[in-house]
Amino acid sequence: MSHAPHSPLPVGHYAYDEVDRTFLKQRVAQFRDQVERRISGALTEEEFKPLRLMNGLYLQLHAYMLRVAIPYGILNSGQMRALAQIAQRYDRDYGHFTTRQNIQFNWIRLEDTPDILALLADADMHAIQTSGNCIRNVTADQFAGAAADEVLDPRVHAEILRQWSTLHPEFTFLPRKFKIAISGSPQDRVAARFHDIGLMARNGENGRPVFEVYVGGGLGRTPIVGVKLRDDLPEEDLIAYLEAILRVYNEFGRRDNIYKARIKILVQALGVDEFRDRVNAEFVAMDRARYRLDERIVAAIRARFGVPDFDPAGQAAEKLAQQRKADRAFDFWVRTNTHAHKQPGYVSVTISCKPAGGIPGDVTSSQMNLLADLADQLSFGELRITHLQNVVLGHVRQDKLYGLWQTLEQNGLGTANVGFITDIVACPGLDYCALANARSIPIAQKLSERFASPDLQREIGPLRLNISGCINACGHHHAGHIGILGVDKRGEEAFQITLGGAADQDTVSIGQIIGAAMSEDETVDAIARIIDTYLARRTAGEQFIETCRRLGTAPFKDAAYATA
Amino acid sequence: MDRRNNRRDAEGSSVITANRLLDGRIVWLAADGEWSPFIRHAHVYSNADIEDALKQQIASAQDNELVGVYGVQVTVTASGPVPITSRERIRAGGPSVHPDFTPEWQEHPAVSPA
Amino acid sequence: MPLLENGQIKDDNWQIAIEGESLPSGDVLVPLARLAEGLGRNGDGRLGVLLNAGDQVEDLRVALPRLSCVQVTFPIFRDGRGFTQARALREHLHFKGEIRAGGHILPDQYEFLLRCGVNSVVVPEGVDASVWQKAHEAFTVAYQPAVLNEQPEGFAFRRKLL
Repeated sequence: MSHAPHSPLPVGHYAYDEVDRTFLKQRVAQFRDQVERRISGALTEEEFKPLRLMNGLYLQLHAYMLRVAIPYGILNSGQMRALAQIAQRYDRDYGHFTTRQNIQFNWIRLEDTPDILALLADADMHAIQTSGNCIRNVTADQFAGAAADEVLDPRVHAEILRQWSTLHPEFTFLPRKFKIAISGSPQDRVAARFHDIGLMARNGENGRPVFEVYVGGGLGRTPIVGVKLRDDLPEEDLIAYLEAILRVYNEFGRRDNIYKARIKILVQALGVDEFRDRVNAEFVAMDRARYRLDERIVAAIRARFGVPDFDPAGQAAEKLAQQRKADRAFDFWVRTNTHAHKQPGYVSVTISCKPAGGIPGDVTSSQMNLLADLADQLSFGELRITHLQNVVLGHVRQDKLYGLWQTLEQNGLGTANVGFITDIVACPGLDYCALANARSIPIAQKLSERFASPDLQREIGPLRLNISGCINACGHHHAGHIGILGVDKRGEEAFQITLGGAADQDTVSIGQIIGAAMSEDETVDAIARIIDTYLARRTAGEQFIETCRRLGTAPFKDAAYATA
Repeated sequence: MDRRNNRRDAEGSSVITANRLLDGRIVWLAADGEWSPFIRHAHVYSNADIEDALKQQIASAQDNELVGVYGVQVTVTASGPVPITSRERIRAGGPSVHPDFTPEWQEHPAVSPA
Repeated sequence: MPLLENGQIKDDNWQIAIEGESLPSGDVLVPLARLAEGLGRNGDGRLGVLLNAGDQVEDLRVALPRLSCVQVTFPIFRDGRGFTQARALREHLHFKGEIRAGGHILPDQYEFLLRCGVNSVVVPEGVDASVWQKAHEAFTVAYQPAVLNEQPEGFAFRRKLL
């Protein structure tokens, strides 16, 4: 490689300075003190809970769980190694990538947590606002800064939002959690309309960014597609407008019922026009100059982002073409697991964390260290975590792909299934989660084994299968073409199937439950029959979701319950 | 704690459980008043008697460095009490997807800092 | 209950209107519903309003020049509406008087309150002021502008906390 493995600025994300590092140290000291006050009894569990949650610490089924923030899903190799170190030293040698582009550790001790946060702070990382009723980690397109179809790299604005929302004095005790996603491509890869606020950036008339603003989307027990609040919000008003939305929500969002406290319920209750009027009234009344996102601010943040120093394409494309011709399995992997890059000679690579029979999103510390090494060797030290629980190397030269694939294959990371039926999204479920009704992982394992054949998966084609262990929908089951929802039947686990969900910008829809809950094995068989029905009834070139929309759910429902 | 996990029938038997404050691990109240990581050590109360015992344990949770004290209905078998819900069976036995991670699982010797 | 202001515990000389009784003389805090009565009171003493979490700050706009104090109330520490009320009093209504916070409040929220424009906090008897002072001094930087108009710290929206 002609570039140094460590450029002065981290590629793809914001470089901390001493002020930021001091802040993180102070945050660790604050939490250390809070833990001491909890242990001494000065803080009750009720009082401590929101404080620990705002540092990502949950009490789950078996132990404490720590959720570490990966802002807009980007981290560098050193940070990945720090995560590996936490897995090895303080956990059971693995971590779990989440649908919010974060990572969770399942076996954490409260008394170790201040030390873990200190270790993270040394790597410019934290767990701030990964839980609690506050503005959560801002998510972004996993191909940001690389995708051929991108009009604007959303990560600079995601970082601005991260900073603005960090320990926000007014918005840290909201009615409920608040999730923001931002995309800079016309192809929505962040499910913008399933967020409390979804931002779609594009270039405005004067070449400065403008944002489409969606509000009130979300999954959970009341799945709702977000509505458009603004079509062309100028960049300079981005913070002011978000302040206005949050102020209206903080003042008027329901606090009497946890299940009705999200902003989507407020938007539904008021109606979008009344909600917009209130936001606009606030926006007009506020001191806009105070919150103006000046061009110089954007430039100052952008200046702290490293940019990849690409090599000339040379013969990379030709070499790749030859290698694909020579190795059929490699060719399949390239087809499924790479994404077009704007730089000639480069691609983005999605590394599947969904091997057949594996736990979706789980990676061991040695895999983390390997990923860090590969990032250093092949992608300017940068790694990305996707909301579909995979890992992306954003900028890989095409003539390096073959070697990369071979290494991944040898380490259980070479599965060629991105976008296919075994690229399953699953929450931790009842194996870990205190809220779950049913286990998500075992059914995911059975399904990924059932459909493990690469030929069968290609035959079925693109298909999103999402599994949630309860109605809170962390596994985004409503957004899956096929969704599975775990329910509790008098203390026993059971599963419902949803069909027809989608999170893409143009065709966003919420999956509908097709019938009564079944056991785990019945559900796996029912899904196999649903797939058979699709294969039998599709027209040429028709994807599962398209057949599903054309035929409706009835034939699939008949198949699902045919012998059950 | 989730209220639904504290539901019990009028009849039957239950055990008392909690998480340890310091490390979050699951423990069960034994007959001698100690808290054990193993459900097989748990003292079995009749559901008629458990409310008083629970009230007392909830009141002393902070002193005992415990959080989320509640009762779990069980059936008593030859190998000890077995919770009636799948949730509590997973809680008692460890995650089903990691057969090694039972309550008996011991940590590896601490890895020295790099 | 005592008041915490600028790191000091001091006596609270304000009285709170008692339901069903006429307003006392001296400095008194009245609920929003008795604002007119408070404004019509003859004689000495300053007037303040005790806002509930659900009250609209906008309802104080006309009376505000005649008010010396507004208290925002936290029914429980997780209910953050008081932050928005305090900030709106400063930013929208340009209130220059005292804003105090009462109810269930944790020391860990103190800095947020100050940055939303609160001056003083009603604290329990015997409170350890050093815990609150420590919370106030925990951070030397903030990441967003606030009504206190703190000095910038470097670039972007960072602010220097004192």
